[in-house]
Amino acid sequence: MSWVDRSLPVARSIEDVQYFLQITLLTFFAYLISAELGFFVGTLSDKIFAPFWPPNIVLLSALLLVRPGQRWISILAAFSAHVIAETRIGMPVFQLIAAFATNFAVAALSAAAVQRQLRERPLFTTFHDTVNFIVIVGFVCPAVVALAGAFVPILGGSAPGDFWNFWTQWFASNALGNLTLGPLALVLITEGRHTFWSANSARQAEALVIGALLVVVCSIAFDRSAGQITHSFLPALLYLPVPFVLWSASRFGVKGASAAILVVGIVLIWRSLNGSSLFLTGTPEANVFALQAFLICLAIPALLLGSSLEEARQANQRLRQDEERMAFVAAAADIGLWQYNSRSGSCWATDHCRSMLGLQEDSPVTRDAILSVVHPDDRAFVHDAIVGIRDAEVPAEFRVVMPDGQMKWLLANRSINRDASGTVLNTSGVVTDITMCKKAEAEAEAQRQELAHLMRVSQVGALSGGLAHELTQPLTAILANAQAARAMLAGKPRDLKNLAEALDDIIAEDLRAGEIIQRLRTLLKNRKVEAEAINIHNLIDSTLHILNSELISRHVKTKVIVAGDVVAVEGDPVQLQQVLLNLVMNALEAMTKTDTRRRILTLTSQCINDQIEVSVIDQGAGIDANDEPRLFDAFFTTKERGLGLGLSICSTIIERHGGSLSLRNNADGGTIARFCLPARCAKGG
Amino acid sequence: MGTADFAVYLIDDDPGVLKALGRLLQTAGYKTKAFSSSEAFLDEHDPSVPGCAVLDLAMPGLDGLELQQTLAHQAADRPIIFLTAHGNVPKSVRAMRAGAVDFLLKPVKRDDLLQAVKRAANQDRLTRRAYAERKTIHALLEKLTPREREVLTHVIAGRLNKQIAADLGTVEKTIKVHRSRMMAKMGVRTVAELVRLTEKVSLQPRLPAADLA
Repeated sequence: MSWVDRSLPVARSIEDVQYFLQITLLTFFAYLISAELGFFVGTLSDKIFAPFWPPNIVLLSALLLVRPGQRWISILAAFSAHVIAETRIGMPVFQLIAAFATNFAVAALSAAAVQRQLRERPLFTTFHDTVNFIVIVGFVCPAVVALAGAFVPILGGSAPGDFWNFWTQWFASNALGNLTLGPLALVLITEGRHTFWSANSARQAEALVIGALLVVVCSIAFDRSAGQITHSFLPALLYLPVPFVLWSASRFGVKGASAAILVVGIVLIWRSLNGSSLFLTGTPEANVFALQAFLICLAIPALLLGSSLEEARQANQRLRQDEERMAFVAAAADIGLWQYNSRSGSCWATDHCRSMLGLQEDSPVTRDAILSVVHPDDRAFVHDAIVGIRDAEVPAEFRVVMPDGQMKWLLANRSINRDASGTVLNTSGVVTDITMCKKAEAEAEAQRQELAHLMRVSQVGALSGGLAHELTQPLTAILANAQAARAMLAGKPRDLKNLAEALDDIIAEDLRAGEIIQRLRTLLKNRKVEAEAINIHNLIDSTLHILNSELISRHVKTKVIVAGDVVAVEGDPVQLQQVLLNLVMNALEAMTKTDTRRRILTLTSQCINDQIEVSVIDQGAGIDANDEPRLFDAFFTTKERGLGLGLSICSTIIERHGGSLSLRNNADGGTIARFCLPARCAKGG
Repeated sequence: MGTADFAVYLIDDDPGVLKALGRLLQTAGYKTKAFSSSEAFLDEHDPSVPGCAVLDLAMPGLDGLELQQTLAHQAADRPIIFLTAHGNVPKSVRAMRAGAVDFLLKPVKRDDLLQAVKRAANQDRLTRRAYAERKTIHALLEKLTPREREVLTHVIAGRLNKQIAADLGTVEKTIKVHRSRMMAKMGVRTVAELVRLTEKVSLQPRLPAADLA
């Protein structure tokens, strides 16, 4: 243990002593002064006495302020002050004790009620709390304790028959105290002493102006002579301070309301003491009660208004904080938030959302402003998405053009809010930047294309011998025909009919050579994938043409069984031909060791429920069960010189066409490679 | 220029090529006959008709080399010219060894083809002449009695009458008679002439057991 730790209790006890002295002196003097003030008011005029007893508020504040363990000190200090004050005016001891007991009871009850509420939230921040405060602290507690308080004057020698008069006096004075001075004191206590001084000067000035105006207005309104001139203006005169009370309440909440009521009360008391108040028309008791009733009636709506405005202000503030927090979180997560109101056509968006869209920070966000930055091709679609025509389930991907000309891809997830009839009220959602994602996707796609192209090139390379043979046939025919024609020209007589036939054949053969070259060129070209309607049967024919020499040299017979229907597939002919080529080449290679008589390649196609199913069937050794799960893996191969990319690429191509590729062993031996594609099957042709 | 009864048989799976080669050879005066497969050719083949075959090496069904083998099995001595799209050394060696006249690359030049066909025609003529000669000699040999034939084999082995007689266990005089009849039937006057004839039909001289040992 260090000396610091040991010194702590000492330090605390010094603090404790200071605190002890502070509360003792503060409570004592506050009680004494406020009691003297009450007596002083009572002595100034014979027509009125103090409309409320200020020491009770001191007691209530002391009970709420002082630490639980040391409340007895403040109670003791208050009691001593009470004894001194009351003894000075010559109150008997019994009456004096009874008076303190009742005063203490109302303060304690009120403090208990307020404290319960304080545990949940600051006072007077909701309308509901204020209603509770008014009912419990303003009415129930004083009413109950007044039953005892009414005995105090009777103990002092007054007539017991006046019990209800005393009850009314006692109740009214405490109710008024609790409703005017109470809230102000409590708010100042809970908010701290700096409320006024920490406010900015504009608000301070406003408070002073309201106070000054209230003093002036009240002085005029409650002037006795004004009331006497004509009684029909009396209600209007009484309403004169109301706007200023409401002003104060609306600007400063409950503390503003109660401070305003206090000012009105003070002016009213001051005018009454000067004997020139509207309320001085009967006995002092009646006058004071009228004054109290007026102030209570004015205080209740002011307090309620102040607290509900406060509640609204705090709700507003919470909302703004939530919004800021949400905007901050969204910005940190690189998400933009937006909302579009269909009724008013107005838009709201977070700052981050604006910067994502490339909108100026100070320019208003409107539907047209958003649409103006959207890529022209996506504009109609984004418009539909914003106004809620397009279904919310599908996230909208669109492009925006930044001020510097760069293009960005954004993704909008939306929710559409509709009323009971289904009319769109508003659409709202989040925007995410998916440019990087799109870029990566495009790069991956480009690489896939490049790989597919390289595979095609290597396939064509592998077929080059056969293809050269294929091309040599028409060349042979052309050369032979041309030389024959030459010889015919030299012959006599010239056989012109035969000559023309030879020339016709040259033309036909040349076209045939051109077709072969064209097929190769298409396969070798690295072009963009283009979707078009393809007749799958033409594709099978063309593939077998390319492989003609290969089939001959491998002694493979082909059997083609195609559905009699016209089958149109939407897709890229080059890529689909690549798949066919690959599957047929696999089939041919699988049959290298098969007996020549059994080397049969079967190609079938059939239409099933808007799907075309194409099968390539060989008579080879089939698939080894161990290899089966890895067939479509990249770089897996069973061939001596294979790369292991063929099937992997084929499968990708077929999948991108919305189909599926499968390989399985045939029951009669060999393998069936089969792919399905979405197709339009038409009867005929 | 081709002779009247000489025909060129064209065998190729490509109809365009068949037609063009036929036309080319016709301008050189040859008779041609086109077949789209080896099988079709074999169905109609008559070895006695003079002619040569121009074959594509790679064809569906029986390919060029297989057709050459089949013809050899049938002892049909048809001169063959191979045409191929790509020079394949092992295949060309096999073809030439099996007696092909030529191995030409597609597309083929007129002069090359015509020269090859000319050579084939020559070969065919020679083969046919030799065949005819052998046929005559065989016919002459058919006329000999078994004894005269036995004597013949001894004569072409260069044996003296005396030795032959000893071998056959008879007298020299008898041998002399057989010998002169045999020489007359064969239409030769000298032993040298006889030897040339028998060589053409690959008749083996009968060597005495002692000489063989």
